[in-house]
Amino acid sequence: MKHFSKGLFVGAVIGALTISAPQLYAATPKDQLVIGTSLAQVLSLDPHQATEGKAVEIMSNLYDRLVNSTPDGKIVPQLAESWKVDDKGITFTLRQANFATGNPVTSKDVVYSLGRLLKLDQAAAANLKRIGYDKDNIDKLVTAVDDKTVRVDFSGQVTAEMLLYRLTTSTTSVVDSIEVQKHVADNDWGNAWMRTHSAGSGPFTLNRWSPNELVILDANKDYVAGAPKMKRVIVRHVPESQVERLMLERGDIDIASALTASDLATFKDKQGFTIQRIPTGGFYVLSMNAGNQYLSNPKVREAIAYGIDYKGIEKTIMGPYGRARNVPVPENFEYAIANPDWHLDVEKSKQLLAEAGFKDGFSLTLKTIAQTPRIDLATAIQASLAQVGIKIDIQQGNGSEIIAAHRARDFDLLIPQTSAYMPNVLGSMEQFSSNPDNSKEANNAGNFVWRSAWDIPELTALTAKASMEPDPKKRGELYVQMQKMFVEQKPAVLPMFERFEPIVLSSKVQGYIGHPTQLTRLENVTKSETQ
Amino acid sequence: MKELSVAEFGRRLAHLLVSLFILLCVTFVIGRILPTDPVGAIVGELADPAAYAAMRARLGLDLPIYQQFFLYLNGLAHGDFGTAVLTGNPVSSDLAQAFPATFELATLAVIISTFVGVPLGLVAALFRDSFIDKTARVLALVGHSIPVFWFGIVGLVIFYAGLNWVGGPGRIDVFYEGLVTPQTGLLLVDSLLQGETEIFWNALGHIILPAIILAYAAMAYITRMTRSFTLEQLSQDYVIAARAKGVSPLGTIWHHVLPNIAVQLITILAISYGGLLEGAVVTEIVFSWPGIGQYMTNALMIGDMNAVVAGTIIVGFIFMLLNFFADVAYAVFDPRMREAAR
Repeated sequence: MKHFSKGLFVGAVIGALTISAPQLYAATPKDQLVIGTSLAQVLSLDPHQATEGKAVEIMSNLYDRLVNSTPDGKIVPQLAESWKVDDKGITFTLRQANFATGNPVTSKDVVYSLGRLLKLDQAAAANLKRIGYDKDNIDKLVTAVDDKTVRVDFSGQVTAEMLLYRLTTSTTSVVDSIEVQKHVADNDWGNAWMRTHSAGSGPFTLNRWSPNELVILDANKDYVAGAPKMKRVIVRHVPESQVERLMLERGDIDIASALTASDLATFKDKQGFTIQRIPTGGFYVLSMNAGNQYLSNPKVREAIAYGIDYKGIEKTIMGPYGRARNVPVPENFEYAIANPDWHLDVEKSKQLLAEAGFKDGFSLTLKTIAQTPRIDLATAIQASLAQVGIKIDIQQGNGSEIIAAHRARDFDLLIPQTSAYMPNVLGSMEQFSSNPDNSKEANNAGNFVWRSAWDIPELTALTAKASMEPDPKKRGELYVQMQKMFVEQKPAVLPMFERFEPIVLSSKVQGYIGHPTQLTRLENVTKSETQ
Repeated sequence: MKELSVAEFGRRLAHLLVSLFILLCVTFVIGRILPTDPVGAIVGELADPAAYAAMRARLGLDLPIYQQFFLYLNGLAHGDFGTAVLTGNPVSSDLAQAFPATFELATLAVIISTFVGVPLGLVAALFRDSFIDKTARVLALVGHSIPVFWFGIVGLVIFYAGLNWVGGPGRIDVFYEGLVTPQTGLLLVDSLLQGETEIFWNALGHIILPAIILAYAAMAYITRMTRSFTLEQLSQDYVIAARAKGVSPLGTIWHHVLPNIAVQLITILAISYGGLLEGAVVTEIVFSWPGIGQYMTNALMIGDMNAVVAGTIIVGFIFMLLNFFADVAYAVFDPRMREAAR
């Protein structure tokens, strides 16, 4: 009896404590938006340097560009209030806007910014270099007509529409040339300073970036389109998915990205939360090294295409992350062709291997980043290819190891992922269909197809032709032709699943519309007090 | 005694420096052999070869490895740990920022584990095979064998998400960020110095759970060791003599056993503290704690060897320093060592 009452007492104390515990830790204030994510890959916030997705999302709220694209792919004015296209180029008229410093945005800033992008010559520069702009011709091709008028001439390798799309990306952000020049050291174009500071005219300014901890953005009250609704946006580094989930449930973060599939699943149909599945226009890909004695054979590549259970994997592994698709163009894009008949067919796959002369099968390695969902994807591929007679040895690694192997052509099979840079066939497909020089000496490691040593001169020429075709209808026909040719050649860069980025939002958050190329803007996001 | 101590001190210092140098060589070589690619991490996956090569040259990675090592040593000699790829800051300033977070957490944890673990070990030994002893043993076993990761998550589920007794991951609630200017870098100290009591309580609420969880794992070890040290002493003749003289059990422990196990105990505490200071990687990741463990893990992931080598040197140095202090403590507390010195 004595023990019993003691137990009862302890229970009562704990109970009382629980009930009376003060709400010491309140949820996030309603004028601050808190986003939980992984910031591990954010290495710079200089828009003319960084290209990583999370960095892009932050930078696109610090800087305005000449033009912007809406989440559904339309090009809309941003710093340019209008533009006129002629045979030789585009003339932009700037609107009256100021940088956060108070300096007016002038054509000089635009010229300086595009020049800086190419002369700094970092990863971001690839966006314009790929269409013929470089550090030597940029000063001639981009000029200030007057204070508020900028002229961008064509490079000869691009159409107006393609150029406009490229000008929507964060790499062409317009920076405050007066401010940046104050911070130049050792001819670095102010890069050391710009990595951790902002000098833009966007709706927010950078208050603080603590690597792997948080990024704080403050509202730019003088933003040209009106002050943002949120006083502050905080992007928090939460490396552990389960912890992120708890924080979202508790109300300490408002938006959670980079959750694992199982944590994501707990928010399905849960009151107070919504799941948004943001399309990326990109794919989870099986890259095959066509320099390999087996994989150089199209029949073997086709056998592998028939050796993967896309539908099954979509259901059990990919879930919200992906949708089965073997053409590198999302099905909902204009001119997308229907999927080829690739599905798990062990008999057919074996027969193709036999025709190729490898009746008894062979062994290959498969390299992948040790990350959801790719690691599970690798295991599933290993299992089904084993039925066909191809023995797979999975090698996991961290991002930099795997990317290094990919760039060096040091793999048999590898699972990379892609993103589209504009919402049309070319934007999602170009990286799968262009390889101007396949020789090892070309060392074109930035090219996705080159890394697979897949030589496709015809497809490359067709892609170049499509990107130069000004007539939309003819261009559409070329798009269809490109996709068909891609499938016929049994790709060494095999798209398996269209890639989505699922995020979970508290229902308090209104007006957050995820952008397919990470240009999600936050100035109109609001938070209600109740869910 | 004095001359001998100086010579001994010098010998140990030389020992420390040689160990540090070897540690440095090994870390550097491993770092350069690993197939990680910091250049790729910086310039991005789709960068063209020219931009790639330029960045490689800027980082000095195009030089032969012995030259890289020489340059690195030269920098070190001038107190320059190099620049971190991840942050673009000098590694020393990054470490100066990350280390206080770890230091604060580890110190609190070692205080908690000492004040709970040592008495628990003593009591367990004193009442051997009693209910208390068995409970202490089970607690120690659990603390030693269940991964910190699991404790972290479960602790968060119960005390943060469920009961709302403690703050969540991170050092403070986000809306307090930036209100305290770092002086010592220790948030608990800085907030008090600046009279921000509200922030102090908030920071305490955030640190308490990870500190207790870290302390629990360390405590398991401390309790077990204290118990076995004490048991060994309790069977000694002098204890039996003291008891026969009529000294109370507590008196025996306090006046006779504790002084005798102090030396061993100090070693154990120093080792535990060293282990905590190297940055409890898993705890730091679970609790989004911006300390040295998380910093070094991220650096390792992208192959940022300047940061990794510097971090390793710091951690190694702390370990060796603690060992050194434990040795000194030996000399102070152990009468035999004092005698020998004389």
